[in-house]
Amino acid sequence: MIKNYLKIALKVLGRRKFFTFISLFGISVTLLVLLVATALLDHVFSAQTPEVHADRMLGVYQLTMRGPDDSENSHPGYGFLDRYVRPMAKLPNVERVALVTETRTVVSYLNGRKIQSAMRRADGEFWRVLAFDFVEGEPFTVADNEGGRFVAVISETARERFFGGSPAVGQTIEADGQRFRVVGVVRDVPVLRYASAADLWVPITTAKTSAYKEEWLGAFTALILARNSADLPQIKAEFQSRLRDAEHHLPDPKTFTTLIAGADTLPEGAARIFLPGEQVANPGGRMRAALLALMLGFMLLPTINLVNINLSRILDRASEIGVRRAFGASARTLVGQFLIENLVLTLIGAAIGLVLAAGVLRAFNVSGILPNTHLQLNLRIFADGLGIAVFFGLFSGVYPAWRMSKLHPVEALRGRSA
Amino acid sequence: MTRHLLKLVWNRKRSNALMILEICVSFLVVFGVATLGLFFLDNYRRPLGYQWQSTWNVAIGMGRSDAEPSGDSTAQQATLARLLREVRSLGPVVAAAGSWVLPFEQGGWSSRYQFKGRSLDMDADRATVGFDQAMGLDLVAGRWFEEADAALVEEPIVINRTLARAVYGAEDPVGKRFADERPGERPFRVVGVISDFRKKGELMPNGNFIFHFASMDHPEGKPPRNLLIRVRPGTTVAFEEALVKRMQAVAPEWSFEVRPLAQVRATSFRFLLTPLIVAGTLAFFLLLMVGLGLIGVLWQNLLQRTREIGLRRAAGASRVAVHRQVLLEQLVLTSLGVLLGTLLVVQIPVLDLIGVLSNRVFASGLLFAMITMYLISILCALYPSSLASRVQPAEALRYE
Repeated sequence: MIKNYLKIALKVLGRRKFFTFISLFGISVTLLVLLVATALLDHVFSAQTPEVHADRMLGVYQLTMRGPDDSENSHPGYGFLDRYVRPMAKLPNVERVALVTETRTVVSYLNGRKIQSAMRRADGEFWRVLAFDFVEGEPFTVADNEGGRFVAVISETARERFFGGSPAVGQTIEADGQRFRVVGVVRDVPVLRYASAADLWVPITTAKTSAYKEEWLGAFTALILARNSADLPQIKAEFQSRLRDAEHHLPDPKTFTTLIAGADTLPEGAARIFLPGEQVANPGGRMRAALLALMLGFMLLPTINLVNINLSRILDRASEIGVRRAFGASARTLVGQFLIENLVLTLIGAAIGLVLAAGVLRAFNVSGILPNTHLQLNLRIFADGLGIAVFFGLFSGVYPAWRMSKLHPVEALRGRSA
Repeated sequence: MTRHLLKLVWNRKRSNALMILEICVSFLVVFGVATLGLFFLDNYRRPLGYQWQSTWNVAIGMGRSDAEPSGDSTAQQATLARLLREVRSLGPVVAAAGSWVLPFEQGGWSSRYQFKGRSLDMDADRATVGFDQAMGLDLVAGRWFEEADAALVEEPIVINRTLARAVYGAEDPVGKRFADERPGERPFRVVGVISDFRKKGELMPNGNFIFHFASMDHPEGKPPRNLLIRVRPGTTVAFEEALVKRMQAVAPEWSFEVRPLAQVRATSFRFLLTPLIVAGTLAFFLLLMVGLGLIGVLWQNLLQRTREIGLRRAAGASRVAVHRQVLLEQLVLTSLGVLLGTLLVVQIPVLDLIGVLSNRVFASGLLFAMITMYLISILCALYPSSLASRVQPAEALRYE
């Protein structure tokens, strides 16, 4: 039966080429946009170098201090993290905890040239929580950080800028008025990996002053690596209880009384940073809701368009439907047939969209709009795209199919419609 | 005629309703993108109030984050004063000053003051002596801050013309008190008026602006984190390096990042325009999709009405008349869609959802969207309608 439907579907599509073209154009462009967006999200949030353990990694990216009149929101400071988060490494289900700053642009001058680099300060554990690809040398260690040694790990791009691509380990670079000895070179990290991307990584203790050690709000992030992804809810709960404890030791208890923060996965962290409004619980759910709303909003117009076209196509086939109904086909059979036809059309459109998306992503990668960003289609995105296409096909097929099943056989046989 | 057309549209209300919905949603999309674009364009045409071409920004990292109240501000003030003296003594420097906020950055500082019960919102900055020269501000009345102002009983302020007009109307604001006194704060007195200071750059609207005085002698308050340095035209990156070295020598525990304001401006433009470009591209493809869809649907509709058209032709209607009928029907549909969209869109000012959109921009956006939708639907109706008008009466009547 299904085979018959498929045959009919293909025949119908071949008969009215202009309509088929219009439908396919709409479907493929819509899916192209959604696929590119999915590739971008996948690129930011999926487990890949250096966040290979993203599935069992949590980060404390934001901290809000609130009081009766005032509220301040920023990255957490080292003082807070050192006292309340770093000791979490002793928990049995936590493998290790790393502290790292957000990036800051630092400037170097080399033979009259100006080099701008994104710099992070990190502790030794940072290199063990994340897995960078070292092309040269190795990371700096916990001892390097504790000893305040002026050593640096640089990216391939930074090596290109400072040394023209020749081996850099053992050489020194100057950045922000300080000199560092290069101990390692890593492959570039895409700028959208907001927990790890930088050009230079140096020990925290090389900061120009030690004022950071007392800060509650500052420029730091804590990365917590769990032993097992199943332990994440437990670790999140533990973090919250430590947060409650920290509220009793606030530096300025008159101004601020409450702390709001979370130990977040990458998408949750992004939701906390980028979504406006109060810092609420369950940022991951809010992020999904926001993305779904965006997707549906974008699909609204293409869907109306496709429904419109589908309706016209159906009415064009009124006499065929009349014959089938006259010979006893139930409304439900007809709806099923039409939905399958529409799905076939959508899947063909999806295939075209996939090919187009591959082309657009290649052009995007070459253009260098986002440095070090290499967007790719993979099986995961393909599956997402397929899901979206099926959803789109059903979504845009239901109303026309219902209208079709409502056609009166006699009227339909006469070639009249609605 | 109109009534007749409406009747024709009503007769096919079910399939037309979808078409009207499609036109309405497309109208909303065009309106959104067009209004954003027109908003930027409208702002871009107005004068900026300062010059950025040969001014550099030095962002100072003082070791502590901005969020933290700093305990040793007196020492920091003193260092900053020495830093400014050092920078001003360098050859290529024309003027240098400190400022809390940085031109072209989108974040910022705003305050609200009461004026005998009426409240006004304004963007604010705290800047040092010499800021007017470093930024090339255009003083229209009074003067900029002087170091001696620190000794005044009242706190001196400089405001922009928009704010002056809002508070004092046609009167001369210089020397007048400003805003109702807040308990525990010094009262304000206006010492100067500038033409404007559009802190967020050319693309964002000009509103009220107030400058407070960042005195180097004043013991309270945090020192500014930005230096703005006007250099002689043609100064190269070599001087940048020398500049950073000199500053590093004065304040070894601070960090310095030098950027020409042109670079800050480019970043800010990219930040604001990227969403517009993405939305515009998407809207273009959506409209293309809608246009093609309309052609298909109209074509199909007309095919179904072959007999009706044939009858009209047989009864003596000319091809032009048939053509006109189809186009007019489409115009009625479009008008209904646009009307529906407009009714939705005017809720925005009625509900007071957006404060920054001027009526002019709003109206132009509406007009642009209307014209676009009419153009699209007429263009899409042309081909199907010419097909319909070519129908031979005999053939059409035979058609069953």
